[in-house]
Amino acid sequence: MTPRRISRRTVLRGAGATIAVPLLDAMLPKTALGQTAAAPRRMAFIMFPLGAWMPSWMPTGNGPDYTLTPCLEPFAEYRKDMTVFGGLTCDKGYGNGDGAGDHARASGAYLTGVQVRKTAGANIQAGISADQVAAARLGDRTRIRSLELAMDRYRGTGNCDSGYSCVYEHTLSWRNATSPLPTEVNPRHVFDRLFGSGQTDTQTVVRNEIRASVLDAVISDARSLNRRLGGSDQRKLDQYLSGIRDVEQRIARATELPPVDMPRDVSRPEGVPSDLTEHMRLMYDLMALAFQTDVTRIATFMVAREGSDQRYRMVGVNEGHHTISHHQNRPANLVRLKAINVFFNQQLAYFLSRLKAVSEGERTLLDNCMIAFGSGHADPNRHSHTDLPVLLFGRGGGTITPGRYLRYPLRTPLNNLWISMLERFGVPNARFGDGTGPLEGLS
Amino acid sequence: MIRRRLPCFILLISGIGILAALRGENEPSAFADDVPRAGASNSIYEKEILPFLKKHCFSCHGNGKAKADLSFDKFKDDKSVYLDRKTWDGVRHMVETREMPPEGRPKPDLAESDAALKAIRGLFQEFDRTAKPNVGRVTIRRLNRTEYNNTIRDLLGVDFKPAEDFPADDVGYGFDNIGDVLSVSPLLLEKYLSAAENILDQVIVIVDPPKVVKQKIVAMANKKFKTNPNPNDLGGQGTFEEGDYAIRCQVAADQAGDEPVKVKLTAGGKILKEFEVKGPSSKSTTQEVKVRMKQGTVRVSVALLNPTVDAKEGTPKRAIYLRSLETEGPFDPPPPPRSPEYKRLMGHKEGLAPREAAREIVARFAARAFRRPVDSDEVEACLALYDDSAKKGRRFETSVQIALYRVLVSPHFLFRVELDPADTPPSTAYMLGEFELANRLSYFLWNSMPDDELFALAAKGELRKNLPQQVLRMTKDAKSKSFLESFAEQWLTLRKLETSSPDPKMFPTFNAALRDAMIRESQMFFTAVVRENRSILDLLDADFTFVNAPLAKHYGIAGVRGKEFTRVKAPPGRGGVLTHASILTLTSNSLRTSPVQRGKFVLEQILNTPPPPPPEDVPELEDQTELKGTLRQVMEQHRANAVCASCHRRMDPLGFAFENFDAVGAWRDKDGDADVDASGELPNGQTFKGPDGLKKLMRQNNTLFVRCLSEKLLTYALGRGLEPYDGRAVEKIVDAVSQDDYRFATLISEIVKSDPFQMRMTGESK
Repeated sequence: MTPRRISRRTVLRGAGATIAVPLLDAMLPKTALGQTAAAPRRMAFIMFPLGAWMPSWMPTGNGPDYTLTPCLEPFAEYRKDMTVFGGLTCDKGYGNGDGAGDHARASGAYLTGVQVRKTAGANIQAGISADQVAAARLGDRTRIRSLELAMDRYRGTGNCDSGYSCVYEHTLSWRNATSPLPTEVNPRHVFDRLFGSGQTDTQTVVRNEIRASVLDAVISDARSLNRRLGGSDQRKLDQYLSGIRDVEQRIARATELPPVDMPRDVSRPEGVPSDLTEHMRLMYDLMALAFQTDVTRIATFMVAREGSDQRYRMVGVNEGHHTISHHQNRPANLVRLKAINVFFNQQLAYFLSRLKAVSEGERTLLDNCMIAFGSGHADPNRHSHTDLPVLLFGRGGGTITPGRYLRYPLRTPLNNLWISMLERFGVPNARFGDGTGPLEGLS
Repeated sequence: MIRRRLPCFILLISGIGILAALRGENEPSAFADDVPRAGASNSIYEKEILPFLKKHCFSCHGNGKAKADLSFDKFKDDKSVYLDRKTWDGVRHMVETREMPPEGRPKPDLAESDAALKAIRGLFQEFDRTAKPNVGRVTIRRLNRTEYNNTIRDLLGVDFKPAEDFPADDVGYGFDNIGDVLSVSPLLLEKYLSAAENILDQVIVIVDPPKVVKQKIVAMANKKFKTNPNPNDLGGQGTFEEGDYAIRCQVAADQAGDEPVKVKLTAGGKILKEFEVKGPSSKSTTQEVKVRMKQGTVRVSVALLNPTVDAKEGTPKRAIYLRSLETEGPFDPPPPPRSPEYKRLMGHKEGLAPREAAREIVARFAARAFRRPVDSDEVEACLALYDDSAKKGRRFETSVQIALYRVLVSPHFLFRVELDPADTPPSTAYMLGEFELANRLSYFLWNSMPDDELFALAAKGELRKNLPQQVLRMTKDAKSKSFLESFAEQWLTLRKLETSSPDPKMFPTFNAALRDAMIRESQMFFTAVVRENRSILDLLDADFTFVNAPLAKHYGIAGVRGKEFTRVKAPPGRGGVLTHASILTLTSNSLRTSPVQRGKFVLEQILNTPPPPPPEDVPELEDQTELKGTLRQVMEQHRANAVCASCHRRMDPLGFAFENFDAVGAWRDKDGDADVDASGELPNGQTFKGPDGLKKLMRQNNTLFVRCLSEKLLTYALGRGLEPYDGRAVEKIVDAVSQDDYRFATLISEIVKSDPFQMRMTGESK
């Protein structure tokens, strides 16, 4: 049996050609003075699992003069849009006294910078994640506060990693220390969430009106119930209450914001493509579309779950990713590991091409973005979390000078990069997790 | 001195998971207070246990060393020992079976270790006897996807499966119904809203009555229609809905002689009216008839009843002139046809005022949706939305629908709420109310809401009295399929098969149909063991299984055709879940079998004694495809490493027992060119040959398995992870099951009878 080849269905038909509608000044939000505001900044945190064979990832050289390594080769075209980081560390990926479980920690700490609690279920605890710091502060400016995407449908069984609940590996986004945000893996559901499922406008208005009145009513149910509950019960109901408020705000915003300007020829995806490459590209298409239409400005995406044993047969790797990530420096494993990283990077390059094809005023959409792409592992063989493979694409609306390789002292917290991004996004002085302050020298 | 017979066929320490789970968490403070104080001066631990540990264990597990994540440093007194029952169960096993201290270390003499064991046992017995029971507190939990689907099905009578679109549920302690990890996000709330809208839209189909319309069938001004020589009718096709119609015609006539012209008005061949028309034709007359029509298209016409017969040339003949023919209707159409679901949802007493009707509908629905009696305040709160909507002039059904919508997104529907009784002090165990018990029971055995019978018993306060009969009824009910299949699937981790992909070149017969058949076999087998009230040991060792054509071929069973499954005698070597192709495949690598993974599966899922993770800097053997020799030889080299040996001595023999099954679970006598060697020796010295040999040992030494299945099923039944204080309840269940021939029904009924299932602790003081 040979793997079936499935042609990439044109679900977002002609996305490249037709998405590239220039952003007219008329479409930009006006400031109070009636002047055209700058295009908004967007931010995506994309994580790939299991690090890389670092010698084939980290460049030599410094600043603009560095040599592109084999893993980074797919980004040759985007060299001027890319910042390569060295020295960043996810310290909370390490056990620090908690024993085994590096995969759960690398995932749980990636955007939070905290030591997640080792539990198979009771009292799960991480910390607020970088994307949610932004969403809490500025999420109310768009239809959707933030978008959380992933690829894995399989939910694991029981302890995903040495006594850690699977929840730590199923999402990067934590609204607060005890509220993980689930991810969407089905492109059709993502599309519906972004753009509605094709209801006509009057229907939407009536529906929203009814929704608002129903939500208003159940809030009082929940409040009176909450008063009669104890500790962990209340936390669950708090999640319900804050979820309701979020949906309420979303309904209210829908009436205030200008209508979504959908590029022509975009159609609703069918579902989850059986071909993994196509699935991944579709997720990138949707993220690009969400940014382009300004439905949201914040997104997270897991290229695969941490510790995933996915087989990437399309690039000739028949063994599971996790299995070969414990490569023991065997050449055969290193070749396979590199092939997987190159595959991930090629797909990201596809995403970058989508962003770059959209003009926004003088710039491109990519220029107004900060696309962080990295892993919570460096060398997966020994579960190293120091000197991580991390890249940043885009200029953050002119606040970043890409095209350079920036080395920071070893063990510089990864969170400091998130703090730098948040600063540029409009959330100054963010403090969360193990971050100590913004990185120097980004611009 | 009598040496006790080893209670288990495999010897290991567990406790790692629980140790880890406890670390960094709050000590269960409510519980700690319940533990009787054993005076420090009188500590059994310090006097009778610690000296033994210091002598034999501390070089690896004390003074800052924590091999296999186990350190005795944290135990200071009797209470701290008692609070970590799982670890100490493991310690007892290790010492009892003399697996620890490991080879190469001096062994304690028997008298010494027996004294230590007796002290440990005594410590736990003493605490168990005097401790106030802690029955645990299940966190309020939302319905998971399966429960949501089933509940909607049973609430509305339609199997929509609306939760297919919901984000996947997180898993804790091996199951997807654990309150602690089932969280609610804005995304999920949006899905709840759309689901409720869609569900109600599909049940409450609002059909507008057909509008009254005028239909012109003929409108011919002044045109003359002769009827000579035959009485041809004049008219056309009319379309009707069911209802009353007025049919009107305007006609004039030529008379021949004195006799008036006689006319009939017909529809679909049936005469509706006969009448006379007088000439001359310049004077028209209008006739109307009221008639009940059925739905359809028929010809409507007028015709001459008395045409002139045999008139001579030139003499006048009778004729009619049809000026117009029209229909108007339907009036008083029948009520639109309603689905049974609609009637069940919207039914109410005849002749009620709309608001009273709405109240009846909403009250009935809310009580079923909230799965308990509702008070009138709750109903009124829902009706407030009805009132708002009715005031806006929306129709009755729409306004009721909005009130029902509110019920479906209320926390009382989405969550399984258990409230502490009023005036009960914090951290007190109390008996659940009958309705709460009905809910626990139905979500355990059906993954769904209680049915009318359970509600009725609860309302009369007679459910607790009738538990055995109800448990039996519920297990036999078709609705238990959901529980049986989802428990089997999660316990045996069957969904992992979806991501395992045996190498297509080496295993060309493996395809989606075979994979599905593998999963199905295990589910059907588990279901049969439960429904037939077999011994739970049959799960490990049975003489029957279920196959369809692809699986039969895979197993080498002749004569099975088609996709449907049939029960067959298990072929030699097979029988019991461990020899199902499903388990054998999901514990294999894509290119070859993995005895380590198979052994680990047994330790984790069958014995609930997971091995600790491998030390960080030890290469995993699994990756070393280049090593020389048979797999067994390679692994024996691996075990020569002392660090690896302690765990692999436990895992590997278990895995090797199944070496006669290849990486997709097909039987083989040779691995490559070498004969398969499926023999093994357990750490306690017992030897076996092949899967049958191991299964025989497992049947004999079944304590760990019985405990494992009891713990997993209790976890599933409660929707929370087990804590050390649940040890007593588990012990009781295990004893009862063991004394009743290991019957599955006994396991289920003992779980239902157990304190953690029947009771709940009130919350800690705020």
